[in-house]
Amino acid sequence: MNIRLEHISKHFGSFTALDDVSLEIREGELVALLGPSGSGKTTLLRIIAGLEAADPLPGAAIYFDGRPLDVRSPAERRVGFVFQHYALFRTMTVFENVAFGLRVRPRRFRPPEAEIRRRVMELLSLIQLESLAHRYPAQLSGGQRQRVALARALAIEPRILLLDEPFGALDAKVRQDLRRWLRNLHEKMPVTSVLVTHDQEEALEVADRIVIMRAGRIEQDGTPEEVFHHPRSAFVMDFLGQVNLFHARLENAHGEAALTRLRARPHELDLSLQAGKGTSLRGRVRRIQTAASLVKIEVLTEQQETVVVEMPHDRFQESGIRLEDTVFVRVKDARVFVEDYSI
Amino acid sequence: MNRGDPPWVRRTLIGVALAFLGLVLLVPLAAVFGEAFRNGAAAYWRSIADPATLAALRLTLLVAAIAVPLNAVFGLAAAWAVTRFDFRGKNLLVTLIDLPFAVSPVISGLVFVLLLGSHSMIGGWLVAHGVRVIFAVPGIVLATLFVTFPFVARELIPLMQEQGSEDEQAAATLGAGGWQIFRRVTLPRIRWALLYGLVLVNARAIGEFGAVSVVSGHIRGATNTLPLHVEILYNEYNIAGAFAVASLLCLFALATLAAKSVLEWKIRRARAALAAQS
Repeated sequence: MNIRLEHISKHFGSFTALDDVSLEIREGELVALLGPSGSGKTTLLRIIAGLEAADPLPGAAIYFDGRPLDVRSPAERRVGFVFQHYALFRTMTVFENVAFGLRVRPRRFRPPEAEIRRRVMELLSLIQLESLAHRYPAQLSGGQRQRVALARALAIEPRILLLDEPFGALDAKVRQDLRRWLRNLHEKMPVTSVLVTHDQEEALEVADRIVIMRAGRIEQDGTPEEVFHHPRSAFVMDFLGQVNLFHARLENAHGEAALTRLRARPHELDLSLQAGKGTSLRGRVRRIQTAASLVKIEVLTEQQETVVVEMPHDRFQESGIRLEDTVFVRVKDARVFVEDYSI
Repeated sequence: MNRGDPPWVRRTLIGVALAFLGLVLLVPLAAVFGEAFRNGAAAYWRSIADPATLAALRLTLLVAAIAVPLNAVFGLAAAWAVTRFDFRGKNLLVTLIDLPFAVSPVISGLVFVLLLGSHSMIGGWLVAHGVRVIFAVPGIVLATLFVTFPFVARELIPLMQEQGSEDEQAAATLGAGGWQIFRRVTLPRIRWALLYGLVLVNARAIGEFGAVSVVSGHIRGATNTLPLHVEILYNEYNIAGAFAVASLLCLFALATLAAKSVLEWKIRRARAALAAQS
């Protein structure tokens, strides 16, 4: 289903949670709302779900498949919602949790018992938990509970699936597995989905599109490649990964100069033991971390600033760099944002 | 437990607690049954089977039967309002729920007499229309409701605050209506605490003396509840009869205690399950 939000604002007392947000989510897309806490991403999700109402301002509207959505209860919207802390019904078995959305339908629309059984078992096999159908939520692990919550949301055949920090309460390894699993599920069953997260890695890995939010506004909206490689602001670049900050003086051909800040990711820097063309900073190696897919080297520059550089293992072997060596930093690629200029 | 306490401290503390319990609870309880059977089992049964006693028993059970379901509704509504909505005057409401605990029951009975007695405006109007509240059963029910209404809300509010409303929101997104959410999601989670509150309501409704005494008018066979009947018998120097009726109240109390401990155990188990899940 296609969703269009227009001029959505939301205030809680004097706090502005959302400030005139417009966004379109296309059929079959998996969109991640990414941002720090307090950026309004969960509020936006809850407004789509109908759990929260947007401020009733002129022009504010939500369209589901082009039709304006009036003030309607969550039930009528047919949205599947997955909560960070699962919100499974603890007094019901896994089976009854998944069956809930079918059983509460008005009698006319309620499928017969045999059909409910078939549908629930089909979903349980999708989440690979058929054998635990008669367990209670308290008897499951966190990852299993979140899969049950997902199956429960899918049982109502939602027109849109909303996930609020679904892996936030899980440990790192389970998180990674579930992320990949969710991506595969989305390929198999392309329900239009919106995922809220504050974990940039999660958003980059899972989503078709990332909407980065800051203080109630959309900062940038694009594919993972676009937002990662072409951040529109310093905030986006800082939020999507580690950044080295350099204070610089830019000069043009006419000799006019401006002070600014340069941002470069760790893999956009290189180190060598000898000064050469393009090397600009000198420093001392303070820390080398090799237990990862890239070697991470911390350098303290002569300006007393810490610079982090990442390079592949073979490149690190070639360079011959060791702890406490004096090294030269070469900036292979960097970005300047307009907001950082001071002339 | 503090392992640093020497054994004699522990023994002394436990001893003091037990001695106190014996003095104020067990000895009087034994005395009640002893006095009740002083003139033999036949006299005991005669006192119980007395028409006035049976009328008092019927009235007491009637009052409890009205107070318990009404309190279930009031308590749930109050707890729901306080824990699920934000509104102006919420703190005031929470304070007001406790009012019956703070006011002497006699005062609350008196307020009903002043408000609804035949000399008051409302009472006069009611009497003119043939409705008697004070010195009649409706007054007794009102007074009992007043003194019992904090129990259920007091039990439910902390539990519902702890549980939050995410489950209800999840049920709403799955298409459940308000009543279905309450019956299938909320009620199963709070049922033991609700029942516990109702056990307390029941005990208080059966045993209430002060408030009921003021509004009842002590009409034998018509507006006497069991506790009032005990007083009347005692004042008439029918000691054995008074204690026989008192022993009935003691049996209710013991049944209440048993129900209460079973429920406390169930609530503890439900809480432990909740803790294990989060």
